[in-house]
Amino acid sequence: MTTAVLAPLADARPADGGAPARRAVVRWAWRLFRREWRQQFLILALIAVAVAATIVGSAVATNDPQPANFGFGTARDAVSFTTHDAHTASVIASLEHRFGRVELIEYETQSIPGSINTYQLRSQDPHGPFGGPMLSLVSGHFPSGADQVAVTSGVASAFHLRVGATWRVGGVERQVAGIVENPQSLLDEFALVTPGQVKNPTGVTALFDAPRVALSSIGNHAQTPASVAQSNPFNPETISLAALVLGMLLIALVSVGGFTVLAQRRLRSIGMLESTGATDRHVRLVISANGTVVGVVGAILGFVLGLVVWLAYRPSLEQSSHHVIGVLSLSWAVVVAAMVLAVVAAFIAASRPARAITKVPIVQALSGRPAAPRQIHRSALPGIVLLVLAFLLLGVSGGTNHGNGSGGAPELLFGLVLLVPGLILLAPFFLSLTARLGRGAPIATRLALRDLARYRARSGSALAAISVGVLVAVIVMLAAASRYGNVLDYAGPNLSSNQLAVHANTPPPAGTIERGPNGNQVVQQSTTTPETPTELATNAASIARALGAQLIALETPNAGLTGTHLGRQWNGAIYVATPQLLRAFGIKPSEIDPNADILSSRPGLSGVSGLGFDYASGGKYGPPQSNQSNQRCTAAAGCLAHPVIQEVGALPLGTSAPNTVITEHAMREFHITASTTNWLVQGSQPFTAAQISGAELAASTSQLSVEAKNDAPSSTAVTTWATIFGIVIALGVLGMSVGLVRSETASDLRTLAATGASSNTRRTLTAVTAGALGFLGALLGVVGGYIAMIGWLRSNSLNGGIAALGNIPIADLLLILIGMPAFAAVVGWLFAGREPAAMAHQAIE
Amino acid sequence: MSFLELRRVSKSYGAGAAEVHAIQDVELSVECGALVAVMGPSGSGKSTLLTIAGSLEEPTSGEVVIDGESLQTMTRNDKSRLRRRTIGYVFQDFNLLAGLTAVENVALPLELDGHSAKKAHAAGMGALEELGLADRATHYPDQLSGGERQRISIARAVVGERRLLLADEPSGALDSTNGEAVMRMILGACKQGVAAVVVTHDAQLASWADRVVFLRDGRVVDQTVPPPSPEALLEESSRSGPRQ
Amino acid sequence: MSLLELHQISKSYGEGPTAVRALAEIDLSVDEGHLVAIMGPSGSGKSTLLTIAGSLEEPTSGEVAIDGASLRAMSRNDKARLRRRTIGYVFQDFNLLPGLTAAENVALPLELDGVSARKAHQAGLAALEQLGLADRAGRYPDQLSGGERQRVAIARSVVGERKVLLADEPSGALDSTNGEAVMRMILDACKRGVAAVVVTHDAHLASWADRVIFLRDGRAVDHVAPDLSDSSLATPRA
Repeated sequence: MTTAVLAPLADARPADGGAPARRAVVRWAWRLFRREWRQQFLILALIAVAVAATIVGSAVATNDPQPANFGFGTARDAVSFTTHDAHTASVIASLEHRFGRVELIEYETQSIPGSINTYQLRSQDPHGPFGGPMLSLVSGHFPSGADQVAVTSGVASAFHLRVGATWRVGGVERQVAGIVENPQSLLDEFALVTPGQVKNPTGVTALFDAPRVALSSIGNHAQTPASVAQSNPFNPETISLAALVLGMLLIALVSVGGFTVLAQRRLRSIGMLESTGATDRHVRLVISANGTVVGVVGAILGFVLGLVVWLAYRPSLEQSSHHVIGVLSLSWAVVVAAMVLAVVAAFIAASRPARAITKVPIVQALSGRPAAPRQIHRSALPGIVLLVLAFLLLGVSGGTNHGNGSGGAPELLFGLVLLVPGLILLAPFFLSLTARLGRGAPIATRLALRDLARYRARSGSALAAISVGVLVAVIVMLAAASRYGNVLDYAGPNLSSNQLAVHANTPPPAGTIERGPNGNQVVQQSTTTPETPTELATNAASIARALGAQLIALETPNAGLTGTHLGRQWNGAIYVATPQLLRAFGIKPSEIDPNADILSSRPGLSGVSGLGFDYASGGKYGPPQSNQSNQRCTAAAGCLAHPVIQEVGALPLGTSAPNTVITEHAMREFHITASTTNWLVQGSQPFTAAQISGAELAASTSQLSVEAKNDAPSSTAVTTWATIFGIVIALGVLGMSVGLVRSETASDLRTLAATGASSNTRRTLTAVTAGALGFLGALLGVVGGYIAMIGWLRSNSLNGGIAALGNIPIADLLLILIGMPAFAAVVGWLFAGREPAAMAHQAIE
Repeated sequence: MSFLELRRVSKSYGAGAAEVHAIQDVELSVECGALVAVMGPSGSGKSTLLTIAGSLEEPTSGEVVIDGESLQTMTRNDKSRLRRRTIGYVFQDFNLLAGLTAVENVALPLELDGHSAKKAHAAGMGALEELGLADRATHYPDQLSGGERQRISIARAVVGERRLLLADEPSGALDSTNGEAVMRMILGACKQGVAAVVVTHDAQLASWADRVVFLRDGRVVDQTVPPPSPEALLEESSRSGPRQ
Repeated sequence: MSLLELHQISKSYGEGPTAVRALAEIDLSVDEGHLVAIMGPSGSGKSTLLTIAGSLEEPTSGEVAIDGASLRAMSRNDKARLRRRTIGYVFQDFNLLPGLTAAENVALPLELDGVSARKAHQAGLAALEQLGLADRAGRYPDQLSGGERQRVAIARSVVGERKVLLADEPSGALDSTNGEAVMRMILDACKRGVAAVVVTHDAHLASWADRVIFLRDGRAVDHVAPDLSDSSLATPRA
């Protein structure tokens, strides 16, 4: 009969079917994938997004800071001098003798009239052996002789130059040969001349290669890129690695749940396969193969997605970081690692359920009845233990360096790494707690909460993933709040976009050291006579008139504020609260406390103790001297220990605007004098770039300089981005998890449909599942974030200690804790509800 | 007066060459208080017949009439309400929501219909007491035996004022004692005026019915009034082919 | 020679108040070439007996021996091999893999055992032809009617050189002609030496067996050897 077709086969068949068996099994797995690809799509999407996020994040982290070889070009070593004298020449000669080629770059700092910025007159050979990366040609050509110069675009616009124009610089009339830039720092404004043209250099840099020689034997001005980078433990590589680990953790958490549900759905088919004689290895092969395929496809998709996002974002990153960034300047090691890890994570995540499924008895598998979830009464203890450990570790890392906590990167990493599993272990406990709390709720809510607790394995990993995402966001939020929240060391944008600050540009004395884009430079002495205050005031007024804006004179008192708060010292200029100033900001005299010495818009300043009003020092604007903080503020020393401070919200908040002023009452009481060397120009509309350069031009004809809004982010911006990040991650994980959790209860849906549940009931189920999971995840994330920050700060006085957390970003926390779950619930409501018929049919199938 | 009527009901899945006819031109009429058994092997369309009668699925053609109202004219919400108040459905397995206790499961349709949890609970307890299952009221389904679970499912299917009971292999997973207990419960409901349709492949249980309908490959091949002895019914079921 | 031997087989599920006793001390011995029918009401444990005999489940106590080898001593891989080569199983609800065509489903055990895809496919087609399903060979199970699915499942159980055939209601979804064709096929297999056990509620088909065993609530309550001298049973229907 049938068997006549096959000749009796000798038992040469391999023990478990060999290659044909594997092929048959893989063929079946592929057919299944084709039928079920939609269910796998969510896992795929999440893996792709995680890989893409890691790629883009590390690319940004690596490229945002200055390039590692900034200032060195391709040289391994550099020595800097402040002048080119005989000593310098002899050192250079000995370097040439020892190491061969030495490239010299000489520069002289010049000021740009009408602006507080400076530029360099720089001599560098464009074809020098090491300086290549620091110089590139935008248009025209490099200077070829002593009578030529190439300028950066900033210098060109400041001096109204274009290619071919004549310009007197460095004492010589030169022709502008071309426009250049420093790709490593687009803020670097310089005029390039041929070597030897800088007559009075304020600095000389010698670049050379000393491959196997210790720095100390060269001299104490020598540096290498590595020595510069080493002092900073948070170099881009560390950050990328941390981001990668976090990203993969999220992937693994999310994948395990997904693959387990997938395996459960195939339980019957696997039972059939086993009953036909497939071995356990075949079954595991199928599920692991599936996982690997999903991992590979997800990794590739993630790479493509990451590349696209990177290409789109790169131009704005170039703008904000002020150096040229290569198109393919990704951190390729991280890219490869991310893709490999995605595949490995997917494979591992799929293998666990694979092993579990082969342990199910065949007959039970055939009945399609998954094993009832194990009701383990997980105690909260292991999770709490891990959290405590994490707390201590973070404290250790924050407290290194005698409480100035600037190192201890391994402890920090370990602390964070322990924090996450601590949260993961706590998740199931909170789930069952929630179910118990929902006892009196209406039927759909009750059921949803109980299901969450019942399918603890599934919802637990989702919960963990959400809390990790929120945790990262909250840590960033709290760190920003603590930094920006220190009212003494005030950080933030300097002005708002409708304000300009006009400063009297008293030329600094010769020999003053200033910081420039290429390191410290010495400022030359200028030969002009200073203008009188009246002249300055008139010129400032005309600038304001030209802008159609209001001019507010800022009187600088001969007094200052001193003190320390949360580890930081007072920073910022103070002015006098003249009637004109108060009027300009709409502050009525009746609103001022007659006893107030100081008015400020800095939030919380009035609550700060340890602030002293130094009225006898003739306080000058500038960084406080280090001995000031140790001086006692007494009347004898000419200092008022507890000045009366009134917070006035109407005063502007910018660091270059009059955010803190002394009342006339205090001026009278302590006999303080004042002078006007600064003005605030305030318009009704934001100033355009054209208006700003017009103002700078007007200022250049006088000894004034104009300061416009810089792009330092405000505290709001940082916390907002962190909040958005946390919410997006949470919602993404929620989207997938809710689908998975509800799919486990397919038979329940069938029963509910048969018992007459309306679509509202189904919608409520999904909405409550999403909302509860979202809220719990947010709560755990916030708690974890606070634990992390408290741990880090408690022995970290440099960053203000725990009190630095006093500034709570309430709005953002509420958005995460309430807004996100509410949104998830609404979305769950809208997208729930399938036809009961479809469910009935599928369940029977 | 026939409470449930299926008029030339057909159901097909798929299209073209891959079209599968689950049931074809089925006619069925069930009066109040009648117990009708539907027999047939796997794949004969019994379950589909029941889901269509229970408004869980729509027929490809034909009409379903319950208590004089045609299902075709009903909206989804109307059908949900029908399932809450008029129809009780019992599957072979997975009838009870694992997250609810026995009494909560019985009270489920009442709670879904808007009754307060307390009132629904009281009604549920009443039903359980009547069936002698009151001591299992606070147990979760995984703490109950298969027979108890099915009996509680039937309690839920008749709680309130249901008039139509549809059961798909209710004794399928049970031993004979429990299986008979289940049938006895269904019969008791019928005596109170409930119209019941029970799908089964077991001739013994089918013999409890007033009428037995045979399905094979989607078509009704016979309808008989079963004689009193199960063995004779065995003979009946083995006679094959549609009557000419 | 007894190809299938069940000795004092008992099976219970669960524990405590939810414990269920499906089988109690069943003995069964099937020699090669013999056909045994098992009958009984639903819940009597018929299907459980068959799954235990087919190595799909383990008994709570008792011994199963197939072709002299005890199942207790076998590893999972050994049992899988047994299911590929020695035991053919027909389920009551067919259990065809939805992702494979009819022909691929039938060929599956051979492929799993290492036979090349082509040869296995040929064998599968031949089996389907025997049951009149050659034209449906390329269809997927959800495109087949109940009766067609059943025949595919039967084809899968007889392909290759099985020694034991276990069938749970093999003709349930079939009309009388096809039902008898199936029984004839099983009988032919028995003639070749296969030991077959068939669960059925169809008394007529049961009468084809050498022996009929009645189960009730997990116990064997009766053994019958149908009288083949009854002419009305021996002649096939027209």
